[in-house]
Amino acid sequence: MLAINNSQPIKQQNKMKRRDFLKTSVVAGAALSLNFEGLQAALSSNTITVEKAPEMVAVMGGEPEVMLDKALEALGGIGNFVKKGQKIVIKPNIGWDRTPELAGNTNPKLVKALVKKCLEAGAEKVTVFDHTCDNWQKCYETSGIAAAAKEAGAIVMPGNDEKYYKEISIPGGVSLKNAKIHEALLEADAWINVPVLKNHGGAKMTCAMKNYMGIVWDRGVFHKNDLQQCIADICTWQKKPVLNIVDAYRIMHQNGPQGKSAADVAVLKSLIASPNIVAVDTAALKLFNQVKKLDMEAVGHLAKGEALKLGTTNLDNVTIKRIKI
Amino acid sequence: MKKPNYLKGLRVTLAILIFVPILLFFVDFAGVLPDATSKLLHLQILPAILSGMIGLLVFQLVLALLFGRIYCSVICPAGVLQDIINRIFCIGKKKKKGVRRFSYHKPMNILRYAIMGATFGLAIFGVIELCTLLDPYSNFGRIANNLFRPVVMWTNNLLAEGLSKMDNYTLYNVTINNVTLASVLSGAIALLVFIVMTVFRGRLFCNTICPVGTLLSVVSRYSFFRISFDKEACMHCGNCEHTCKAEAIDSKNLTVDTSRCVDCFNCVSSCSKGGLQYRFKPFYKKEENVMTAATVNPIQENSPSRRSFLTTSATVVATLPVVPALAACKRKHGKKWPPIIPPGAISLERFKDVCTGCQICVTQCPSHVLRPTGMEYGFDYFLKPRVTYEVNSYCNYECTVCSEVCPTHAIKPLTKEEKATTQVGIATFFINRCIVKTEGTDCGACSEHCPTQAVHMIPYEGTLTIPKVNPDLCIGCGGCESICPVRPMRAILIKPNEVHKFVEKPKEEEVKKVEVEDFGF
Repeated sequence: MLAINNSQPIKQQNKMKRRDFLKTSVVAGAALSLNFEGLQAALSSNTITVEKAPEMVAVMGGEPEVMLDKALEALGGIGNFVKKGQKIVIKPNIGWDRTPELAGNTNPKLVKALVKKCLEAGAEKVTVFDHTCDNWQKCYETSGIAAAAKEAGAIVMPGNDEKYYKEISIPGGVSLKNAKIHEALLEADAWINVPVLKNHGGAKMTCAMKNYMGIVWDRGVFHKNDLQQCIADICTWQKKPVLNIVDAYRIMHQNGPQGKSAADVAVLKSLIASPNIVAVDTAALKLFNQVKKLDMEAVGHLAKGEALKLGTTNLDNVTIKRIKI
Repeated sequence: MKKPNYLKGLRVTLAILIFVPILLFFVDFAGVLPDATSKLLHLQILPAILSGMIGLLVFQLVLALLFGRIYCSVICPAGVLQDIINRIFCIGKKKKKGVRRFSYHKPMNILRYAIMGATFGLAIFGVIELCTLLDPYSNFGRIANNLFRPVVMWTNNLLAEGLSKMDNYTLYNVTINNVTLASVLSGAIALLVFIVMTVFRGRLFCNTICPVGTLLSVVSRYSFFRISFDKEACMHCGNCEHTCKAEAIDSKNLTVDTSRCVDCFNCVSSCSKGGLQYRFKPFYKKEENVMTAATVNPIQENSPSRRSFLTTSATVVATLPVVPALAACKRKHGKKWPPIIPPGAISLERFKDVCTGCQICVTQCPSHVLRPTGMEYGFDYFLKPRVTYEVNSYCNYECTVCSEVCPTHAIKPLTKEEKATTQVGIATFFINRCIVKTEGTDCGACSEHCPTQAVHMIPYEGTLTIPKVNPDLCIGCGGCESICPVRPMRAILIKPNEVHKFVEKPKEEEVKKVEVEDFGF
């Protein structure tokens, strides 16, 4: 019952926004003259809050699906990101043959809840994939992600063969000028980046930006041509994720990205979501720093991403909503 | 009165029940079939001998003593494959031309006993090459892995392509990467030999070249149940002789050479008068025409066909290894390190002595790190599998599949614990090739893939870190080597252990509870 009551105002709000957007983009001037405030006032009289959605939401203290609910609510609802009839790709980190408890991969509960959200928002189809490091079938299975995503109604696509990847150019890249990207993403209308926060032997930290390495075929090129720069470069690909949702329910604070045992894992029960990829990684780094010290300079791709205008590392310039459950 | 012949039906049914799972196991690139399917491979006689399964060998011999060479028609996949070839050859032909084209030939006893003697004799002294080349099961394995499997994979890729258009990813695209030129040639030559021999002379391979067939023939000569003529019923039409794939029926003298009979029961079916029967007729019940022609009167004359056949078979045996060997020789030369052998193989010497190169491990390895070799490591490593990490894949930390399926126990069964502590080689780091040093940029791909963190990152210059190897933790899984981006020579390579060593399992660190109250931003 509660869910139904909640969804009503969100939907109205969404409709509002889409209409606004159309007006501003198509006939910007005219739209301004059409009494905008009036519409908003009408809405507020309907007891709907019209405060501007924050750029970033951080949630702490709940189960993955609960935190996702809260975060999306604060961001104005999933409808702000996923439109009816769209083909959506959800890109978790499924890199390793590890169980959810070992935090090697994105939490399957989060993936499941997100798939459901997308389908509820009217997505035509939701595809989940990753270019894994370990044997892909084992990763898909052990991580629990394949089963969870399928249960929620997603299509789980393999990423094991070069055939699934198509060459595209990265005009904005400094070191990386082209890459082979998974066809599911090339065909998608929108995608959501769902990394897990981990320590990383090479990149020092893996989160939203580093998660891009699972959408390409040849990762060796990255390692060969300045890893940190290539990570920033691939993020300049024109089709950016509509949202980055960092899974920090369990984080791997050492021996990453694969991890050896439960001793590498800290349970933070957190989640950070934002369309701003550099900001979300910066926030994740700060969260990480409370467990293990890690300098921002070491995670070179953050500054390099900022230089490529992918977002900001200065969180003072970002409106953040913090929710504790 | 023609009695319905249940025997042939039973033989065909049993053969299908054993052959089909074995064939599917070899072509199963997706790991659909359970590893327990490999139990059927343990029934094979040569692997049973090599793995020291005396009980199984005795069972097979007793089976042959009681019922004849049922093994050759039911259990041996190469035998059934020859029957299938024969069947295919018969399609569309009239009975006379197709089915009934064989005729009685005297056994080539000297040749077959010589081959068997040489094969087993040399094997005792640790020279296993003849087993590798002549074992019917291993030859079938190489045919299945190198010829049938790629066809199945191509078909899969075609279907997967079609299904993916409908957003169905039940099938997925696969790359054929576990065959080599040498192994394809070995499979192709074996298949060609089978086809030529079967089409012209039926089960000639089984009755002349195959050491397992010859071993069984020694016993089946005295089998209790056997095919024999019923002289009252026989009309001397000769149908049975022309149907006999083993060329063991002499319809003139009414004898059946039980040493070569493979119990296919085709002759029983072919006789409408019931002139041939499979019945209890032990050798000690002396009766004329029961003893084999060969033992009764040794052949004196040298028929032209026999002479020509001696030469052809000798040539065939001799050329079996040569072509793939030459092919392989051309490609690679002068490799400094010995091959990496799979965990469970214990030592290179031991592995060389027991593996017959059936390649079931190659087909089953989920990480695709096993490759059949040519002559890169010499003739005594010919067609055996080696572990390679050049393929951007590495040996999964907890996987024990190859050790579970190996029918000769050349790769001994390992528990997960044993596997995770078996050191097949040690990662060797060449700092002067490493990107962190040469380019001054972050990399760490090797450490990223190291399951034991034997390869770990230590501070280098500024915020850079560089890999370092702890040999006491390294198991040689190749995670590091497989992912190292440096070319042409990688900066980290697994140096093989000729004798496997064992490392301590990495110590379990204490799980510390971490409490974080705030976001930190």
